[in-house]
Amino acid sequence: MNPIISLKNVSVKYRIIIEKPKTLQEYIIQRFKGKKIRHDNLIAINSINIDISKGEIIGIIGSNGAGKSTLLKVIAGILVPSEGEVKISGKISPLIELGAGFDMELTGKENIYLNASLLGLSRKEIKERFDSIIDFSELGDFIHSPLKSYSSGMISRLGFSIATEVNPDILIIDETLAVGDEHFKKKCMDKIIGFKQNGITILFVSHSMPEIKRLCDKVIWLDKGNLKMLGKSEVVTESYLNQSAQMVNS
Amino acid sequence: MIEALKEAKEIYKYRELLRNLVVRDIKVRYKRSVIGFLWVMLNPLLIMLILNIVFSELFKVSIPNYTAYLLSGIILWSFFSQSTSTAIVSFIGNSNLIKKVYMPKAIFPLSLILSASVHFLFAMIPLFIIFYITDVHISSNIYLLPIFFIMITMFSFGVALILATSTVFFHDVRYIYEVLLLAWMYMTPIFYPESIVPERFMFILQLNPFYYFISIFRAALYMDVSMLSEKVIYSFLFSVVTLVLGWLFYNRYRQKIIYYL
Repeated sequence: MNPIISLKNVSVKYRIIIEKPKTLQEYIIQRFKGKKIRHDNLIAINSINIDISKGEIIGIIGSNGAGKSTLLKVIAGILVPSEGEVKISGKISPLIELGAGFDMELTGKENIYLNASLLGLSRKEIKERFDSIIDFSELGDFIHSPLKSYSSGMISRLGFSIATEVNPDILIIDETLAVGDEHFKKKCMDKIIGFKQNGITILFVSHSMPEIKRLCDKVIWLDKGNLKMLGKSEVVTESYLNQSAQMVNS
Repeated sequence: MIEALKEAKEIYKYRELLRNLVVRDIKVRYKRSVIGFLWVMLNPLLIMLILNIVFSELFKVSIPNYTAYLLSGIILWSFFSQSTSTAIVSFIGNSNLIKKVYMPKAIFPLSLILSASVHFLFAMIPLFIIFYITDVHISSNIYLLPIFFIMITMFSFGVALILATSTVFFHDVRYIYEVLLLAWMYMTPIFYPESIVPERFMFILQLNPFYYFISIFRAALYMDVSMLSEKVIYSFLFSVVTLVLGWLFYNRYRQKIIYYL
């Protein structure tokens, strides 16, 4: 079976410019002085090869700055890698930040249309999913009020509902599961388990090892941009925890 | 080149987002004002009133139907200046989204240009009322109006793409553009007749794309304009070339944008 996500030798280099010219004037002055703009390459991820098959739930772990978010951005198509090849077959729904595209002046209903179209849905597709989005969010009549009158929990609930009702082939979740109260959290978990049964591929970034162990089949461990380990979730989380413990002790 | 075509296809795929952004822009802009959408029509009328008081004594003799001349110039210029100067920050302003979700980025400046052209259409209503009141007869060239509309939208989008892309890398582009717009406005016959431009400065008019656009706009509405077909061809060339240049420029740098936001 062909992998749904395939990364071949993917590297992302950020150019970190030292003394970055912020204005045109500075740029021209620096050029005039013959001063070259100095920059360093920061390798955010370094020649990574990963194949992910349909229906797998993959956890991504690593310390801060290990390249987890960069990897997700590459898969989501937001960043084009400096080297290597990315092949994705299917619709991606990112849950990187819930409700990133919301407009506070618009009502919940209008925001459903705006946000779902941001994920690439057509008008017809949105209409078909509209009722189930409202049902899942449990917002009731609030759906007709502008978002500025919502609590932050309500906004997250709406965001989660839209991102999951899109029926993606690939769902990206970046530590956003802690939304709403216990009741809603459980609903989200149930939904994700339902996704698993429906053969949807999920990428899940978290620092919580119990959550990773509970949900994921396989885990990718990133360390300073390199793929340190890829394998069964128990094995990888175990060695990750061991290494963290050693680092604390030493 | 192929990349540029692919990106155009992506915009089509995301047309529902484009529609929602345009609707959002129109809704949000007037939601909090008391008379809401009427401002679109009232605003150019009030500007026209002020300029009319200031300039009418000066140019009344040389321009017949000065009110119509002035108002048509004002609504066209405010369409262009407002749409491009809001679009200039459309990548910076949406950086939060661009960094988190994939979408063809050009959709942001495009939506601003399109919502401005909706405002432009509404601002035409008071213009026709003024025509009626001041007894100005609509030209037989009115069929040029839709063609003109498409051309000015293409031109503005091309300009917006160049501005929005370059502003990501150099923030001062927007301040330079502010000044440039003012100079550009005075170089365009918006409130003065082109006959007052001395012969030795005529080349400035002839190099100014907006001179052709404004001439065609007025010609389509009511005015007799010399060498109209020539001006239509120039406008067409200016709009197509600007759009193509803008599109290629944006596509050349679009993958770098995210690193600078």
